[in-house]
Amino acid sequence: MFDTNIMAILLNVIKNQESRNAFCIAKKFYTYGQLAQCISKVRNELQTRTIENKNVGLIENDDLETYASIFALWLEGLAYVPISSDAPIDRNEDVINQSNISVIIDSSKKSKFSNYDLIESSKLTNTTSNLKPNVVSEENLVYIIFTSGTTGKPKGVPITRKNLSAFIKAYEDLNLEITTEDRCLQMFNLTFDLSVVSYLVPLLKGACVYTVPKDEIKYSYVYELLDEDDISVTMMVPSMIQYLRPYFDEMRFPKMKYSLFCGEALNLKLVEEWSECIPNASVINIYGPTENTVVCTEYKYNPKDCLCYNGVLSIGKDIGNTQLIIVDENDKIISNGDKGELCLISDQLMPGYWNNEKKNKEAFFNIEVNGKIERAYRSGDMCFKDKQGFLFYVDRIDFQTKIQGFRVELFEVESHVKDYLGKINAVALAVENRLGNNEIGLVIESKEMDTTDLYDYLKTKMPQYMIPTQLKFEPKFPLNNNGKIDRKTLKNLF
Amino acid sequence: MEKEKIIENLKTIFVKVLEHEEFELNDDLSAGDVSGWDSLSHMLIIGEVEDVFSIKFKFRELNKMKNLGDMITLIGKKINS
Repeated sequence: MFDTNIMAILLNVIKNQESRNAFCIAKKFYTYGQLAQCISKVRNELQTRTIENKNVGLIENDDLETYASIFALWLEGLAYVPISSDAPIDRNEDVINQSNISVIIDSSKKSKFSNYDLIESSKLTNTTSNLKPNVVSEENLVYIIFTSGTTGKPKGVPITRKNLSAFIKAYEDLNLEITTEDRCLQMFNLTFDLSVVSYLVPLLKGACVYTVPKDEIKYSYVYELLDEDDISVTMMVPSMIQYLRPYFDEMRFPKMKYSLFCGEALNLKLVEEWSECIPNASVINIYGPTENTVVCTEYKYNPKDCLCYNGVLSIGKDIGNTQLIIVDENDKIISNGDKGELCLISDQLMPGYWNNEKKNKEAFFNIEVNGKIERAYRSGDMCFKDKQGFLFYVDRIDFQTKIQGFRVELFEVESHVKDYLGKINAVALAVENRLGNNEIGLVIESKEMDTTDLYDYLKTKMPQYMIPTQLKFEPKFPLNNNGKIDRKTLKNLF
Repeated sequence: MEKEKIIENLKTIFVKVLEHEEFELNDDLSAGDVSGWDSLSHMLIIGEVEDVFSIKFKFRELNKMKNLGDMITLIGKKINS
Protein backbone atom coordinates (compact mmCIF):
# COMPACT_ATOMS: atom_id res chain seq x y z
CA MET A 1 0.00 0.00 0.00
CA PHE A 2 1.23 3.46 -0.93
CA ASP A 3 0.12 4.91 2.42
CA THR A 4 1.92 2.33 4.52
CA ASN A 5 5.11 1.69 2.59
CA ILE A 6 5.75 5.19 1.26
CA MET A 7 3.81 7.99 2.95
CA ALA A 8 3.83 6.63 6.52
CA ILE A 9 7.54 5.84 6.29
CA LEU A 10 8.43 9.31 5.04
CA LEU A 11 6.30 10.98 7.73
CA ASN A 12 8.03 8.82 10.31
CA VAL A 13 11.46 9.87 9.06
CA ILE A 14 10.37 13.51 9.18
CA LYS A 15 9.13 13.10 12.75
CA ASN A 16 12.15 11.24 14.07
CA GLN A 17 14.95 13.19 12.49
CA GLU A 18 13.78 16.72 12.02
CA SER A 19 17.25 18.18 12.33
CA ARG A 20 19.05 15.84 9.93
CA ASN A 21 19.69 16.86 6.34
CA ALA A 22 17.21 15.76 3.71
CA PHE A 23 18.62 17.68 0.75
CA CYS A 24 21.78 19.36 -0.39
CA ILE A 25 20.76 21.69 -3.23
CA ALA A 26 23.31 23.99 -4.87
CA LYS A 27 25.66 23.43 -1.87
CA LYS A 28 22.99 24.43 0.66
CA PHE A 29 21.60 21.92 3.16
CA TYR A 30 17.92 21.56 4.07
CA THR A 31 16.74 19.48 7.01
CA TYR A 32 13.81 17.10 7.15
CA GLY A 33 12.15 19.70 9.37
CA GLN A 34 12.51 22.32 6.64
CA LEU A 35 11.24 19.84 4.06
CA ALA A 36 8.16 19.20 6.22
CA GLN A 37 7.53 22.92 6.63
CA CYS A 38 7.80 23.43 2.90
CA ILE A 39 5.44 20.50 2.17
CA SER A 40 2.87 22.01 4.54
CA LYS A 41 2.96 25.47 2.98
CA VAL A 42 2.54 24.15 -0.56
CA ARG A 43 -0.26 21.84 0.58
CA ASN A 44 -2.10 24.61 2.40
CA GLU A 45 -2.03 26.67 -0.78
CA LEU A 46 -3.15 23.69 -2.88
CA GLN A 47 -6.18 23.32 -0.63
CA THR A 48 -7.30 26.86 -1.44
CA ARG A 49 -7.43 26.07 -5.18
CA THR A 50 -10.11 24.33 -7.18
CA ILE A 51 -8.47 21.36 -8.79
CA GLU A 52 -10.92 19.96 -11.32
CA ASN A 53 -8.56 17.32 -12.48
CA LYS A 54 -6.24 15.26 -10.27
CA ASN A 55 -3.19 16.17 -12.37
CA VAL A 56 -1.15 19.20 -11.36
CA GLY A 57 1.67 20.63 -13.44
CA LEU A 58 5.01 20.89 -11.64
CA ILE A 59 7.69 23.06 -13.19
CA GLU A 60 10.95 21.30 -12.50
CA ASN A 61 13.39 23.52 -10.70
CA ASP A 62 16.30 22.50 -8.58
CA ASP A 63 14.99 23.69 -5.21
CA LEU A 64 13.30 22.51 -2.03
CA GLU A 65 9.89 23.87 -3.09
CA THR A 66 9.80 21.67 -6.17
CA TYR A 67 10.58 18.47 -4.25
CA ALA A 68 8.25 19.43 -1.39
CA SER A 69 5.46 19.99 -3.92
CA ILE A 70 5.62 16.33 -4.95
CA PHE A 71 4.87 15.22 -1.38
CA ALA A 72 2.24 17.92 -0.88
CA LEU A 73 0.46 16.57 -3.95
CA TRP A 74 0.75 12.97 -2.79
CA LEU A 75 -0.64 13.86 0.65
CA GLU A 76 -3.64 15.37 -1.17
CA GLY A 77 -4.01 12.27 -3.35
CA LEU A 78 -2.98 14.17 -6.50
CA ALA A 79 -0.42 13.50 -9.23
CA TYR A 80 2.39 15.66 -10.55
CA VAL A 81 3.14 16.15 -14.21
CA PRO A 82 6.74 17.36 -14.47
CA ILE A 83 7.25 20.18 -16.95
CA SER A 84 10.60 21.54 -17.98
CA SER A 85 10.51 25.29 -18.47
CA ASP A 86 13.39 24.89 -20.95
CA ALA A 87 11.32 22.68 -23.24
CA PRO A 88 9.63 24.33 -26.23
CA ILE A 89 6.32 26.05 -25.42
CA ASP A 90 4.50 23.94 -28.03
CA ARG A 91 5.58 20.75 -26.39
CA ASN A 92 4.70 21.96 -22.90
CA GLU A 93 1.27 23.12 -24.03
CA ASP A 94 0.71 19.73 -25.59
CA VAL A 95 1.61 18.02 -22.29
CA ILE A 96 -0.58 20.43 -20.31
CA ASN A 97 -3.56 19.98 -22.64
CA GLN A 98 -3.20 16.22 -22.89
CA SER A 99 -3.20 15.79 -19.12
CA ASN A 100 -5.99 18.39 -18.57
CA ILE A 101 -3.92 20.47 -16.19
CA SER A 102 -5.49 23.63 -14.75
CA VAL A 103 -3.20 24.26 -11.76
CA ILE A 104 0.56 24.61 -12.09
CA ILE A 105 3.10 24.82 -9.28
CA ASP A 106 6.12 26.89 -10.22
CA SER A 107 8.94 27.99 -7.92
CA SER A 108 10.61 30.17 -10.59
CA LYS A 109 11.12 33.81 -9.70
CA LYS A 110 9.38 34.83 -12.90
CA SER A 111 6.99 32.17 -14.13
CA LYS A 112 6.34 31.53 -17.82
CA PHE A 113 3.00 29.97 -16.93
CA SER A 114 1.04 32.92 -15.56
CA ASN A 115 -1.91 32.19 -17.86
CA TYR A 116 -2.69 29.12 -15.76
CA ASP A 117 -3.95 28.90 -12.17
CA LEU A 118 -0.46 29.32 -10.77
CA ILE A 119 0.94 28.45 -7.35
CA GLU A 120 4.17 30.39 -6.95
CA SER A 121 5.68 28.09 -4.38
CA SER A 122 8.78 30.17 -3.62
CA LYS A 123 6.58 33.13 -2.60
CA LEU A 124 4.52 31.23 -0.03
CA THR A 125 4.98 32.01 3.66
CA ASN A 126 5.33 29.39 6.34
CA THR A 127 2.14 27.97 7.77
CA THR A 128 1.01 25.45 10.33
CA SER A 129 1.93 21.82 9.82
CA ASN A 130 -0.37 20.01 7.38
CA LEU A 131 0.95 16.49 6.93
CA LYS A 132 -2.00 14.17 7.45
CA PRO A 133 -2.53 12.11 4.29
CA ASN A 134 -5.94 12.08 2.60
CA VAL A 135 -7.36 8.60 2.19
CA VAL A 136 -7.62 7.91 -1.53
CA SER A 137 -7.71 4.93 -3.89
CA GLU A 138 -4.57 3.00 -4.77
CA GLU A 139 -5.55 3.61 -8.38
CA ASN A 140 -4.98 7.37 -8.01
CA LEU A 141 -1.97 8.55 -9.95
CA VAL A 142 1.32 9.72 -8.42
CA TYR A 143 2.78 11.16 -11.62
CA ILE A 144 2.49 11.23 -15.39
CA ILE A 145 5.74 11.36 -17.30
CA PHE A 146 5.62 12.19 -20.99
CA THR A 147 8.03 10.40 -23.29
CA SER A 148 8.86 10.65 -26.95
CA GLY A 149 6.10 9.36 -29.23
CA THR A 150 6.53 8.07 -32.79
CA THR A 151 3.86 10.37 -34.26
CA GLY A 152 5.49 13.60 -33.16
CA LYS A 153 3.28 13.92 -30.08
CA PRO A 154 4.67 12.99 -26.65
CA LYS A 155 2.80 10.16 -24.92
CA GLY A 156 1.88 10.15 -21.24
CA VAL A 157 2.90 7.33 -18.91
CA PRO A 158 0.64 7.48 -15.83
CA ILE A 159 1.89 5.72 -12.71
CA THR A 160 -0.53 4.81 -9.90
CA ARG A 161 0.00 4.65 -6.14
CA LYS A 162 -0.18 0.88 -6.45
CA ASN A 163 2.53 0.91 -9.14
CA LEU A 164 4.90 3.10 -7.12
CA SER A 165 4.33 1.10 -3.98
CA ALA A 166 5.07 -2.15 -5.89
CA PHE A 167 8.27 -0.54 -7.19
CA ILE A 168 9.45 0.49 -3.70
CA LYS A 169 8.82 -3.06 -2.49
CA ALA A 170 10.66 -4.53 -5.49
CA TYR A 171 13.63 -2.23 -4.87
CA GLU A 172 14.13 -3.82 -1.46
CA ASP A 173 15.23 -6.95 -3.34
CA LEU A 174 18.47 -5.13 -4.17
CA ASN A 175 19.31 -5.33 -0.45
CA LEU A 176 21.00 -1.96 -0.41
CA GLU A 177 22.02 -0.87 3.05
CA ILE A 178 21.13 2.79 2.86
CA THR A 179 21.15 4.52 6.26
CA THR A 180 20.68 8.00 7.67
CA GLU A 181 24.43 8.49 7.16
CA ASP A 182 24.29 8.04 3.40
CA ARG A 183 24.72 10.78 0.83
CA CYS A 184 22.85 9.93 -2.36
CA LEU A 185 23.08 11.48 -5.80
CA GLN A 186 19.98 12.76 -7.64
CA MET A 187 21.20 13.89 -11.05
CA PHE A 188 18.05 13.44 -13.14
CA ASN A 189 15.46 15.87 -14.43
CA LEU A 190 12.04 15.18 -12.97
CA THR A 191 10.82 14.52 -16.51
CA PHE A 192 12.98 11.37 -16.41
CA ASP A 193 11.70 8.67 -14.06
CA LEU A 194 15.14 7.72 -12.73
CA SER A 195 14.68 10.89 -10.67
CA VAL A 196 11.96 9.10 -8.69
CA VAL A 197 14.25 6.37 -7.39
CA SER A 198 17.02 8.92 -6.84
CA TYR A 199 15.03 11.22 -4.52
CA LEU A 200 12.47 8.85 -3.02
CA VAL A 201 14.55 5.88 -1.89
CA PRO A 202 17.07 7.99 0.09
CA LEU A 203 14.30 10.02 1.77
CA LEU A 204 12.51 6.86 2.88
CA LYS A 205 15.79 5.82 4.58
CA GLY A 206 16.41 9.21 6.15
CA ALA A 207 19.50 9.79 4.01
CA CYS A 208 20.53 13.04 2.31
CA VAL A 209 19.78 13.71 -1.38
CA TYR A 210 22.37 15.71 -3.36
CA THR A 211 20.91 17.33 -6.45
CA VAL A 212 22.53 18.83 -9.53
CA PRO A 213 21.66 22.48 -10.39
CA LYS A 214 20.21 22.99 -13.85
CA ASP A 215 22.73 25.57 -15.03
CA GLU A 216 25.79 23.43 -14.27
CA ILE A 217 27.62 21.14 -16.67
CA LYS A 218 26.26 17.92 -15.23
CA TYR A 219 29.22 15.56 -15.13
CA SER A 220 31.52 18.32 -13.85
CA TYR A 221 29.19 19.00 -10.96
CA VAL A 222 28.64 15.30 -10.31
CA TYR A 223 32.41 14.83 -10.17
CA GLU A 224 32.66 17.67 -7.64
CA LEU A 225 29.99 16.05 -5.47
CA LEU A 226 31.71 12.67 -5.60
CA ASP A 227 35.07 14.24 -4.86
CA GLU A 228 34.20 16.82 -2.21
CA ASP A 229 30.99 15.55 -0.61
CA ASP A 230 31.86 11.84 -0.48
CA ILE A 231 28.67 10.69 -2.15
CA SER A 232 28.04 7.07 -1.11
CA VAL A 233 25.18 6.02 -3.40
CA THR A 234 24.85 6.95 -7.07
CA MET A 235 22.40 6.14 -9.81
CA MET A 236 23.77 7.21 -13.17
CA VAL A 237 23.31 6.60 -16.84
CA PRO A 238 26.46 5.03 -18.34
CA SER A 239 27.05 8.03 -20.64
CA MET A 240 27.69 10.09 -17.49
CA ILE A 241 30.87 8.20 -16.62
CA GLN A 242 31.70 7.84 -20.29
CA TYR A 243 32.33 11.62 -20.16
CA LEU A 244 34.62 11.19 -17.16
CA ARG A 245 36.40 8.18 -18.65
CA PRO A 246 39.41 10.01 -20.12
CA TYR A 247 40.12 11.24 -16.57
CA PHE A 248 39.52 8.04 -14.59
CA ASP A 249 43.18 7.83 -13.57
CA GLU A 250 42.74 11.01 -11.49
CA MET A 251 39.63 9.77 -9.76
CA ARG A 252 39.31 7.79 -6.58
CA PHE A 253 36.14 7.67 -4.50
CA PRO A 254 36.70 5.24 -1.62
CA LYS A 255 33.53 6.32 0.21
CA MET A 256 31.25 5.10 -2.55
CA LYS A 257 29.14 2.10 -1.46
CA TYR A 258 26.82 1.55 -4.38
CA SER A 259 27.24 2.61 -7.97
CA LEU A 260 24.04 1.83 -9.86
CA PHE A 261 23.55 2.13 -13.60
CA CYS A 262 20.39 2.27 -15.62
CA GLY A 263 18.92 3.75 -18.76
CA GLU A 264 21.44 2.56 -21.33
CA ALA A 265 23.51 -0.48 -22.25
CA LEU A 266 26.37 -0.82 -19.75
CA ASN A 267 29.69 -1.64 -21.34
CA LEU A 268 31.96 -4.15 -19.55
CA LYS A 269 35.21 -2.30 -20.34
CA LEU A 270 33.72 0.91 -18.95
CA VAL A 271 32.67 -0.84 -15.72
CA GLU A 272 36.07 -2.48 -15.32
CA GLU A 273 37.79 0.89 -15.56
CA TRP A 274 35.24 2.66 -13.37
CA SER A 275 35.60 -0.02 -10.68
CA GLU A 276 39.19 1.10 -10.14
CA CYS A 277 37.88 4.53 -9.15
CA ILE A 278 35.42 3.10 -6.62
CA PRO A 279 37.38 0.34 -4.84
CA ASN A 280 34.83 -0.20 -2.06
CA ALA A 281 31.61 -0.05 -4.04
CA SER A 282 29.26 -2.62 -5.54
CA VAL A 283 28.32 -1.96 -9.13
CA ILE A 284 24.74 -2.85 -9.98
CA ASN A 285 23.16 -2.75 -13.42
CA ILE A 286 19.41 -2.28 -13.40
CA TYR A 287 16.82 -2.10 -16.12
CA GLY A 288 13.23 -1.12 -16.65
CA PRO A 289 10.97 0.90 -18.91
CA THR A 290 9.14 3.97 -17.56
CA GLU A 291 5.88 2.10 -18.24
CA ASN A 292 6.81 -0.48 -15.61
CA THR A 293 7.64 2.09 -12.91
CA VAL A 294 11.35 2.89 -12.96
CA VAL A 295 13.14 -0.48 -12.81
CA CYS A 296 12.39 -4.19 -12.57
CA THR A 297 15.64 -6.17 -12.99
CA GLU A 298 19.06 -6.15 -11.34
CA TYR A 299 22.48 -7.55 -12.08
CA LYS A 300 25.27 -7.32 -9.52
CA TYR A 301 28.61 -6.94 -11.23
CA ASN A 302 31.19 -9.50 -10.22
CA PRO A 303 34.65 -8.67 -11.62
CA LYS A 304 35.74 -12.32 -11.55
CA ASP A 305 32.75 -13.70 -13.39
CA CYS A 306 30.79 -11.15 -15.36
CA LEU A 307 27.96 -12.12 -17.67
CA CYS A 308 28.09 -10.19 -20.93
CA TYR A 309 26.77 -10.21 -24.46
CA ASN A 310 28.56 -8.19 -27.17
CA GLY A 311 30.62 -6.58 -24.41
CA VAL A 312 27.50 -5.34 -22.63
CA LEU A 313 26.58 -6.40 -19.07
CA SER A 314 23.60 -8.63 -18.43
CA ILE A 315 20.54 -6.87 -17.05
CA GLY A 316 20.13 -9.79 -14.66
CA LYS A 317 16.96 -11.12 -13.14
CA ASP A 318 13.59 -9.78 -12.12
CA ILE A 319 13.00 -8.03 -8.81
CA GLY A 320 9.69 -7.70 -6.97
CA ASN A 321 6.73 -9.38 -8.59
CA THR A 322 7.68 -8.59 -12.20
CA GLN A 323 7.72 -11.57 -14.55
CA LEU A 324 10.04 -11.28 -17.54
CA ILE A 325 8.93 -13.25 -20.56
CA ILE A 326 10.39 -13.34 -24.04
CA VAL A 327 8.07 -13.90 -26.97
CA ASP A 328 8.40 -14.46 -30.72
CA GLU A 329 6.50 -12.62 -33.47
CA ASN A 330 3.39 -14.67 -32.71
CA ASP A 331 3.46 -13.79 -29.01
CA LYS A 332 4.54 -17.34 -28.08
CA ILE A 333 6.95 -17.64 -25.19
CA ILE A 334 10.28 -18.87 -26.50
CA SER A 335 12.91 -20.97 -24.78
CA ASN A 336 16.04 -19.71 -23.07
CA GLY A 337 18.80 -18.82 -25.49
CA ASP A 338 16.47 -17.59 -28.24
CA LYS A 339 16.09 -13.91 -28.99
CA GLY A 340 12.71 -12.21 -28.93
CA GLU A 341 10.85 -9.27 -27.51
CA LEU A 342 10.98 -8.82 -23.75
CA CYS A 343 7.50 -8.48 -22.26
CA LEU A 344 6.62 -7.62 -18.69
CA ILE A 345 3.88 -8.74 -16.33
CA SER A 346 3.89 -6.81 -13.09
CA ASP A 347 2.07 -4.82 -10.42
CA GLN A 348 4.43 -2.02 -11.49
CA LEU A 349 2.84 -1.89 -14.93
CA MET A 350 1.05 1.38 -15.71
CA PRO A 351 -2.71 1.26 -16.34
CA GLY A 352 -2.11 2.39 -19.95
CA TYR A 353 -0.85 5.38 -21.94
CA TRP A 354 -2.81 8.50 -21.04
CA ASN A 355 -5.85 8.86 -23.33
CA ASN A 356 -4.20 6.83 -26.06
CA GLU A 357 -6.25 3.72 -26.82
CA LYS A 358 -4.52 3.14 -30.12
CA LYS A 359 -1.10 2.94 -28.48
CA ASN A 360 -2.46 0.77 -25.67
CA LYS A 361 -3.80 -1.79 -28.13
CA GLU A 362 -0.31 -2.05 -29.59
CA ALA A 363 1.55 -2.13 -26.31
CA PHE A 364 -0.54 -4.54 -24.23
CA PHE A 365 -1.75 -8.08 -24.86
CA ASN A 366 -3.05 -11.02 -22.87
CA ILE A 367 -0.96 -14.14 -22.54
CA GLU A 368 -1.27 -17.39 -20.63
CA VAL A 369 1.59 -17.93 -18.21
CA ASN A 370 1.56 -20.91 -15.85
CA GLY A 371 -2.11 -21.54 -16.55
CA LYS A 372 -3.12 -17.96 -15.82
CA ILE A 373 -4.16 -15.25 -18.26
CA GLU A 374 -1.94 -12.23 -17.62
CA ARG A 375 -1.78 -8.71 -19.02
CA ALA A 376 1.64 -8.19 -20.57
CA TYR A 377 3.46 -5.11 -21.88
CA ARG A 378 5.73 -5.13 -24.91
CA SER A 379 8.99 -3.43 -23.95
CA GLY A 380 10.24 -3.02 -27.53
CA ASP A 381 13.58 -4.38 -26.34
CA MET A 382 15.00 -7.44 -28.06
CA CYS A 383 16.48 -9.71 -25.39
CA PHE A 384 17.33 -13.30 -24.55
CA LYS A 385 17.77 -15.31 -21.35
CA ASP A 386 20.68 -17.64 -20.78
CA LYS A 387 20.28 -21.11 -19.24
CA GLN A 388 20.33 -19.70 -15.73
CA GLY A 389 17.65 -17.21 -16.65
CA PHE A 390 19.91 -14.14 -16.76
CA LEU A 391 18.58 -11.55 -19.14
CA PHE A 392 20.62 -9.90 -21.91
CA TYR A 393 19.68 -6.87 -23.95
CA VAL A 394 20.42 -7.18 -27.66
CA ASP A 395 18.86 -4.23 -29.46
CA ARG A 396 15.68 -2.23 -29.93
CA ILE A 397 13.13 -3.84 -32.22
CA ASP A 398 11.93 -0.41 -33.33
CA PHE A 399 13.46 2.99 -33.98
CA GLN A 400 13.82 4.22 -30.46
CA THR A 401 17.16 5.29 -29.10
CA LYS A 402 18.63 6.75 -25.92
CA ILE A 403 20.34 10.11 -25.76
CA GLN A 404 22.04 10.47 -22.36
CA GLY A 405 19.39 8.11 -21.04
CA PHE A 406 16.45 10.02 -22.51
CA ARG A 407 14.22 7.97 -24.76
CA VAL A 408 13.98 9.38 -28.25
CA GLU A 409 11.75 8.02 -31.01
CA LEU A 410 13.73 8.68 -34.17
CA PHE A 411 10.43 8.85 -36.05
CA GLU A 412 9.35 11.75 -33.85
CA VAL A 413 12.48 13.66 -34.86
CA GLU A 414 11.93 12.73 -38.52
CA SER A 415 8.31 13.75 -38.45
CA HIS A 416 9.14 17.27 -37.25
CA VAL A 417 11.92 17.59 -39.83
CA LYS A 418 9.61 16.44 -42.62
CA ASP A 419 6.81 18.71 -41.43
CA TYR A 420 9.15 21.60 -42.00
CA LEU A 421 10.90 20.46 -45.17
CA GLY A 422 7.71 19.50 -46.98
CA LYS A 423 8.58 17.26 -49.92
CA ILE A 424 12.23 16.71 -48.99
CA ASN A 425 12.89 13.39 -47.29
CA ALA A 426 14.97 13.03 -44.13
CA VAL A 427 16.14 10.27 -41.81
CA ALA A 428 17.15 10.51 -38.16
CA LEU A 429 19.67 7.98 -36.90
CA ALA A 430 21.45 7.15 -33.69
CA VAL A 431 25.17 7.62 -34.27
CA GLU A 432 28.11 7.19 -31.93
CA ASN A 433 30.34 10.18 -31.25
CA ARG A 434 34.05 10.15 -30.43
CA LEU A 435 33.33 9.61 -26.75
CA GLY A 436 31.30 6.51 -27.53
CA ASN A 437 28.00 8.17 -26.62
CA ASN A 438 24.88 8.32 -28.75
CA GLU A 439 23.99 11.43 -30.73
CA ILE A 440 21.21 12.03 -33.22
CA GLY A 441 22.39 12.30 -36.79
CA LEU A 442 20.15 13.77 -39.45
CA VAL A 443 20.45 12.97 -43.15
CA ILE A 444 18.54 15.17 -45.57
CA GLU A 445 17.85 13.92 -49.10
CA SER A 446 19.14 16.96 -50.91
CA LYS A 447 22.30 18.70 -51.95
CA GLU A 448 23.79 20.87 -49.25
CA MET A 449 21.38 23.57 -48.11
CA ASP A 450 20.97 26.15 -45.36
CA THR A 451 19.30 24.55 -42.36
CA THR A 452 19.26 27.51 -39.95
CA ASP A 453 15.50 27.96 -40.24
CA LEU A 454 14.89 24.22 -39.98
CA TYR A 455 16.87 24.03 -36.74
CA ASP A 456 15.11 27.12 -35.35
CA TYR A 457 11.82 25.36 -36.10
CA LEU A 458 12.95 22.08 -34.48
CA LYS A 459 13.92 23.96 -31.33
CA THR A 460 10.33 25.15 -30.98
CA LYS A 461 9.05 21.57 -31.22
CA MET A 462 11.45 19.34 -29.30
CA PRO A 463 13.60 19.48 -26.17
CA GLN A 464 17.32 20.09 -26.64
CA TYR A 465 18.35 16.43 -26.34
CA MET A 466 16.15 15.55 -29.34
CA ILE A 467 17.69 18.13 -31.70
CA PRO A 468 20.04 16.40 -34.17
CA THR A 469 23.66 17.24 -33.39
CA GLN A 470 25.16 15.89 -36.61
CA LEU A 471 24.02 16.67 -40.13
CA LYS A 472 24.70 15.13 -43.56
CA PHE A 473 23.26 15.58 -47.02
CA GLU A 474 22.71 12.78 -49.51
CA PRO A 475 21.28 13.71 -52.93
CA LYS A 476 19.50 10.33 -53.27
CA PHE A 477 18.78 7.92 -50.42
CA PRO A 478 19.98 4.35 -51.01
CA LEU A 479 17.32 1.63 -50.80
CA ASN A 480 17.67 -1.89 -49.44
CA ASN A 481 16.32 -5.10 -51.02
CA ASN A 482 12.85 -4.48 -49.62
CA GLY A 483 12.75 -1.09 -51.28
CA LYS A 484 13.01 0.67 -47.91
CA ILE A 485 15.48 3.43 -47.17
CA ASP A 486 18.73 1.74 -46.29
CA ARG A 487 19.33 3.25 -42.88
CA LYS A 488 22.45 1.17 -42.30
CA THR A 489 24.22 2.64 -45.32
CA LEU A 490 23.15 6.15 -44.33
CA LYS A 491 24.60 5.54 -40.88
CA ASN A 492 28.00 4.99 -42.49
CA LEU A 493 27.97 8.64 -43.60
CA PHE A 494 28.77 9.59 -40.02
CA MET B 1 51.30 31.25 -28.43
CA GLU B 2 49.63 34.61 -28.16
CA LYS B 3 46.19 35.09 -26.79
CA GLU B 4 44.85 36.24 -30.17
CA LYS B 5 46.14 33.09 -31.81
CA ILE B 6 44.54 30.92 -29.10
CA ILE B 7 41.22 32.70 -29.57
CA GLU B 8 41.45 32.24 -33.32
CA ASN B 9 41.97 28.50 -32.89
CA LEU B 10 39.16 28.31 -30.32
CA LYS B 11 36.81 30.05 -32.71
CA THR B 12 37.47 27.35 -35.34
CA ILE B 13 36.86 24.62 -32.74
CA PHE B 14 33.63 26.17 -31.48
CA VAL B 15 32.26 26.59 -34.98
CA LYS B 16 33.18 23.01 -35.83
CA VAL B 17 31.53 21.50 -32.72
CA LEU B 18 28.55 23.84 -32.36
CA GLU B 19 27.94 24.19 -36.10
CA HIS B 20 27.09 27.90 -35.90
CA GLU B 21 28.83 31.24 -35.46
CA GLU B 22 26.36 33.11 -33.33
CA PHE B 23 28.73 33.96 -30.52
CA GLU B 24 31.44 36.46 -29.72
CA LEU B 25 34.47 34.93 -28.01
CA ASN B 26 35.40 37.06 -24.99
CA ASP B 27 36.76 36.33 -21.52
CA ASP B 28 33.36 36.40 -19.79
CA LEU B 29 31.67 34.02 -22.21
CA SER B 30 30.30 30.90 -20.50
CA ALA B 31 28.26 27.88 -21.58
CA GLY B 32 24.93 29.51 -20.74
CA ASP B 33 25.57 32.34 -23.25
CA VAL B 34 25.98 30.15 -26.31
CA SER B 35 23.26 28.11 -27.97
CA GLY B 36 24.17 24.42 -28.13
CA TRP B 37 27.04 24.65 -25.62
CA ASP B 38 25.75 21.95 -23.28
CA SER B 39 27.22 19.02 -21.36
CA LEU B 40 27.75 17.01 -24.52
CA SER B 41 29.27 19.66 -26.75
CA HIS B 42 31.42 20.88 -23.83
CA MET B 43 33.24 17.55 -23.69
CA LEU B 44 33.57 17.50 -27.47
CA ILE B 45 35.01 21.04 -27.36
CA ILE B 46 37.50 19.97 -24.67
CA GLY B 47 38.51 16.96 -26.79
CA GLU B 48 39.10 19.18 -29.81
CA VAL B 49 41.03 21.72 -27.73
CA GLU B 50 43.30 18.96 -26.43
CA ASP B 51 43.94 17.72 -29.99
CA VAL B 52 44.48 21.11 -31.61
CA PHE B 53 46.82 22.49 -28.93
CA SER B 54 48.41 19.08 -28.18
CA ILE B 55 47.73 19.41 -24.46
CA LYS B 56 45.96 17.31 -21.84
CA PHE B 57 43.75 18.76 -19.13
CA LYS B 58 43.28 17.35 -15.69
CA PHE B 59 39.67 16.95 -14.69
CA ARG B 60 40.14 19.23 -11.69
CA GLU B 61 41.41 21.93 -14.02
CA LEU B 62 38.41 21.54 -16.29
CA ASN B 63 36.12 21.90 -13.32
CA LYS B 64 37.70 25.16 -12.24
CA MET B 65 37.10 26.65 -15.67
CA LYS B 66 34.11 28.93 -15.29
CA ASN B 67 34.34 30.96 -18.50
CA LEU B 68 36.28 31.33 -21.69
CA GLY B 69 38.86 33.59 -20.04
CA ASP B 70 39.76 30.73 -17.66
CA MET B 71 40.04 28.37 -20.60
CA ILE B 72 42.35 30.70 -22.53
CA THR B 73 44.60 31.26 -19.47
CA LEU B 74 44.81 27.52 -18.86
CA ILE B 75 45.58 26.72 -22.50
CA GLY B 76 48.27 29.42 -22.47
CA LYS B 77 49.81 27.96 -19.32
CA LYS B 78 49.74 24.41 -20.70
CA ILE B 79 51.34 25.14 -24.06
CA ASN B 80 54.08 27.26 -22.53
CA SER B 81 55.03 24.71 -19.87
